[in-house]
Amino acid sequence: MIEIAIHKKLKAATGEMLLDINTTIEQGSLVTLYGKSGVGKTTILRILSGLLKPEKGKIIVNGTTWLDTEKGINLKPQKRKVGFVFQDYALFPNMTVKENLQYALNKGENSKIVDNLIQIIELDELQNRKPETLSGGQKQRVALARALVQKPSILMLDEPLSALDSEIRFKLQQYIIKVHKEFKLTTILISHDVSEIIRMSDTLFEIEHGKIIRRGKPNEVFKYKELNAKFQFTGDLIEIEKQDFLYILTIRIGKDLVKVVADESEGKMLTVGDKILVASKAFNPVIHKIS
Amino acid sequence: MIDWSPLILTFKLAVITTFLLLLISIPLAYWLAYTKLKIKPIIETLVSMPLVLPPTVIGFYLLIAFSPSNSFGEWLHEFLGLQLVFSFEGLIIASIIYSLPFMVHPIQSGLSNLPASFLDASSVLGKSNLNTLFKVLLPNIKPSLLTGIVLAFAHTIGEFGVVLMIGGNIPGKTKVASIAIYDEVEALNYATANTYSLILFALSFCILLTVYLINGGYLKQIYK
Amino acid sequence: MNILKGEIENIKVSGSLSLVHINVLKTRISAIVIDTPKTEPFLKIGNNIDVVFKETEVIIGKGIHHNISMQNKFIGNILSIESRDLLSKLVVNTSVGKITSIITTNAVKQLELEIGTEVTAMVKTNEIMLSE
Repeated sequence: MIEIAIHKKLKAATGEMLLDINTTIEQGSLVTLYGKSGVGKTTILRILSGLLKPEKGKIIVNGTTWLDTEKGINLKPQKRKVGFVFQDYALFPNMTVKENLQYALNKGENSKIVDNLIQIIELDELQNRKPETLSGGQKQRVALARALVQKPSILMLDEPLSALDSEIRFKLQQYIIKVHKEFKLTTILISHDVSEIIRMSDTLFEIEHGKIIRRGKPNEVFKYKELNAKFQFTGDLIEIEKQDFLYILTIRIGKDLVKVVADESEGKMLTVGDKILVASKAFNPVIHKIS
Repeated sequence: MIDWSPLILTFKLAVITTFLLLLISIPLAYWLAYTKLKIKPIIETLVSMPLVLPPTVIGFYLLIAFSPSNSFGEWLHEFLGLQLVFSFEGLIIASIIYSLPFMVHPIQSGLSNLPASFLDASSVLGKSNLNTLFKVLLPNIKPSLLTGIVLAFAHTIGEFGVVLMIGGNIPGKTKVASIAIYDEVEALNYATANTYSLILFALSFCILLTVYLINGGYLKQIYK
Repeated sequence: MNILKGEIENIKVSGSLSLVHINVLKTRISAIVIDTPKTEPFLKIGNNIDVVFKETEVIIGKGIHHNISMQNKFIGNILSIESRDLLSKLVVNTSVGKITSIITTNAVKQLELEIGTEVTAMVKTNEIMLSE
């Protein structure tokens, strides 16, 4: 269990903002911080990892105090067992993939974990390459592996997937879920992508202006009905057309536009720009091979 | 046959100065690149002063400071046995101050241009700042380090005003090449002055060319 | 969406498919899903779940006797009819509750449906979604 209570004044684009977070995170859960940019999500991760000090606060991780401003306790990032995947990956250009991973080892530590991670995250073919020769998705995998070398208690990922295209993204989500389970991690992830959140997280904190405004399971926070449909997507509502007692909705899902018919009672509650979950039974779609 | 001792003395001075400057500038540049203290602009200004001040001003103040007739100079002499005026040691200290910005600036800008996440990432991976500096930061700013080393070296070779003020003109001790040239011209020995000048010119040209070649990536392309 | 509340009565698993019987107000509804109790923990006998299907998937038959493959048949009287150029919306008061159906206006005319007509609302097994 992770107990977090932090206060910090931040200078945001809209003026001064008070980051005020008071919450707990279950051990072993995958938590997503969701919210617009500039609401303090990254700051929360930086405070948790010790890179930033709040004015007032307390962080207790599985019984160990990492931060207690009243008692003057503030463990350095080096002493906190965290793995951090930075938005820009922060791979060291002077080292190969394997060297980047080995760098994370403690002095005299057995390097078996490095080989192990290279296996799990499938980096065999990349291990002797320099970061500059890697694609975005590959860099991301290396950064993920490197963050795990120290066997962290908390893995933090700052918008790890935002710069990647949807196909690679999906693969990486699988890697993250895989290591989350395999290493029994507590994972905190920043994401804007609703489908990513639904697919990955157990708990969701929606953050606005430095505060958690809603928390719960993704379906509780986004208030959609969890169906056992196998044919389901999230998308953005870009057009609503009313026809008789039906609404014809145009929804952008990834790069594709789809049209869905909805009943009056549902259509009335929608406005353009809404995030929408589209679900159907897997029995309905027909398929055509195109290549 | 020309007297080689001013040239040898110049290189000896340049090598020692550059080496000591590197030791001083890395921590200083590191501090300047990462500090958030309000005093930073003042330190930055002081480091940059030698760029704009006439060398004679620096030489003059150092001469006053090191002079045994004042208390600081006396203290140096009494307790450390250092005679900094009209001595090679004095020249080194003057050169270090004079060439400081040429070493600090490239290293500082190299460090500042590295992503801030490098330092963060390394801390989170459990590494001390010192470890990060030597294993991550410095290896990734090699071109900046080279620029600093070469500029400081070349600048030390080229200095005149400071060494003249503080070093005097003692053959074999403080008479460096630039002063030797001045002497030869005064004595109307244009041929000797020309030889010294040519050597300095060729050398400076080669040094600077090397920097531009390496930092421009031409060497990488040639040796690929 | 039509949403009915019921209780799982029986689950028959074959490979990764399950045929689920749900008791809704003593009427049995069948649903086939690509899930098993292993992949979807809420598939458990006795669990209360929602039965969800879309209005456009509800077929209307006049009368009560239909020799047809449909497993889910709910008999009731038409409560309201709203007809437009192409489509009509019917609400049928059945044994499992009110069910809304959207069918073509032509069909309404052909079957001569009116308020009060006794009809059977039918939904294919594979059109029914389940939700916790």
